[in-house]
Amino acid sequence: MSEKKVKVLMAKPGLEGHWRGMVVVSSALRDAGFEVIYGGNMMPTEIATTAVQEDVDVVGLSILSANYMLLVSHTIKELKNHGKGDVLVLLGGIIYEDDFPPLKEMGVAEIFVPGTPLPDIVESVRKLTSAVV
Amino acid sequence: MDDKRQFASGSGIPIKGIYGPHDVKDVNYDRDIGLAGEPPFTRGVYSSMYRGRLWTIRRYSGVNTPEETNELYRREYELGQTGFSVATDVPTGYGVDCDDSEAFADVGDAGVPISSLKDMETTFEGLPIDKIATALEVSTESGCPLTAMYVAIAEKRGFDMEQLKGTTLNDFTASSSCAYHKGQLSPQALLRLSVDLIEWCCECTPKWHPMCLDSYPYREQGINAVQELGLILATAIQYIEEEKRRGRVPLDKFVRRFSFNMGIHNDFFEEVAKLRAGRRMWYKIARERYGIEDPRCWQFRLHVQSSGCTHTTQEPLNNLVRIAYQMLAAALGGAQSMHANGYDEGICLPTEQSMLLSIRTGQVLQYETNVINTVDPLGGSWYVEWLTSEIERRTWDYLQNIEEMGGMIQALTTGWVHREYRDAMLEHERRVTSGETVVVGVNKFRLGKEPYEVPIFRPNPETPEIQIEKLKKFKKGRDNDKVAQALRNLEEVSSSEENVMPAVMEAVKAYATIGEISNVWRTVCGVWSPPMIL
Repeated sequence: MSEKKVKVLMAKPGLEGHWRGMVVVSSALRDAGFEVIYGGNMMPTEIATTAVQEDVDVVGLSILSANYMLLVSHTIKELKNHGKGDVLVLLGGIIYEDDFPPLKEMGVAEIFVPGTPLPDIVESVRKLTSAVV
Repeated sequence: MDDKRQFASGSGIPIKGIYGPHDVKDVNYDRDIGLAGEPPFTRGVYSSMYRGRLWTIRRYSGVNTPEETNELYRREYELGQTGFSVATDVPTGYGVDCDDSEAFADVGDAGVPISSLKDMETTFEGLPIDKIATALEVSTESGCPLTAMYVAIAEKRGFDMEQLKGTTLNDFTASSSCAYHKGQLSPQALLRLSVDLIEWCCECTPKWHPMCLDSYPYREQGINAVQELGLILATAIQYIEEEKRRGRVPLDKFVRRFSFNMGIHNDFFEEVAKLRAGRRMWYKIARERYGIEDPRCWQFRLHVQSSGCTHTTQEPLNNLVRIAYQMLAAALGGAQSMHANGYDEGICLPTEQSMLLSIRTGQVLQYETNVINTVDPLGGSWYVEWLTSEIERRTWDYLQNIEEMGGMIQALTTGWVHREYRDAMLEHERRVTSGETVVVGVNKFRLGKEPYEVPIFRPNPETPEIQIEKLKKFKKGRDNDKVAQALRNLEEVSSSEENVMPAVMEAVKAYATIGEISNVWRTVCGVWSPPMIL
């Protein structure tokens, strides 16, 4: 019996282009057996349509822009508008700790700041998705 | 015990326990070292170095709206700052207007939004731009229009163009490989625009530095000192080759105002050796390879910045220590200008407090440590001279590899550079995870809980809305026939081999926006998809 792979869309909403973190995390997830779609920079609607078309289980957002509250809320709104409100949303980047509660309120399942060990991120995604598949 | 452990530099060069005269027996003092201010410039580009002139302390700034940035610059000017480094926001850097639907969240982020000449005028309102030197730290896409805007202000105020001082960061390798964004132009198109800007400045603004090669962003991708130096020199060579092909400006004039901007990383002696090797190699390239006669073209004039990717989010005050060591390495390596990062780079955009500390880091080094007393104090150290030669040797090999590929354009379009970055960043993460590379307070000596808090900067969330409204109104109010005419002219010129800058000047003065100008190039040159690297 073949196990269904967990499918992850990795994307950077907005224009800001720092991509090192996303490459590193995408690669670690792929090496850990996840199916990773590397979306690069995408606008929130594009993230939502891709999430639907590819039927992903997880949307991983990487944001190094200071306006992450706006970008995350737009993205989650679009995901809901496209009927993909149940997808697991994860966030990585430079995020102030004070903003963790409102982000989680918005629907972000977990937040990873720089310096989080990669194995911890992989483990966390594995745990969070164990119920999905 | 100690003998069994392998010691290596940041770029993987094996390091012995002790060095002596036999390690530098192939180094000839007159040929390879010499005096500062004299070929091959290993010891420094100027004979008296910091005794004659201290390095410039720059602060890279720009925040929220042009109005707020203007207030900030006025305060900086009152503090005695004479060099400004303009940080533009993300959309401006990429040649996107703030009213573009894709820019909504990035307006005013990490810099000032400058969509048109109007915003540039507001930013420099009341500042004596004939007395200050301004660095426009932008991507190549926006380098031409932003330089044109700055020059247009000077022209309007009736200043002598021959005296206008400043720098445009204008490095096509950085723009093509260090960040991805939509509507990106190809490396070839960027090379064309930057060379047009250099040619035009050679004629119109001879004191402007239109070409600052900038390896800082490449280094931030995780590559090592040898790769960084190899790539920046290969990029400089690509520019010279392009002008050789065009034959419009003599190389002595074309290269005259090249300057360089590099990162300064953690491996102290290797970074010192990198700067020394860079000067020697640039001399050989400019004089021996290209036969450039003007000695001023042989000087590897350098601005450095402490390396953001070495700074940590955890225990951020530790970064102050890292930054101070990096600045010391830059001083001992002979840089002409330095930017010490905010210690809070891993947490937020810099606060007033961290920006002040950045300036103080440079001033303590300049005024309290006496490291400026003598030129190249590490020169003649067996270890440093050996390491300088070793880095030079390895960098020539790296450079030759790029040249055999066909140069930087090829190295970028085939994805080779992107793969170099990917391999480097993944290897770094592997080493951090395994503990082979130690990051204090992160993968070693990590505390269970963050021990303290530091102040946080938050940009004004209203900025996008304010700017978008302002620009929409502005676009309605200007002479739109004149704008359309200027853009048509720009399109025609851009489709030919002609230099685009006179047409860019015309468009900018007609108040065409940076997005409208960049869109002309997207239409003419096409949009480029960078090679995917995962």
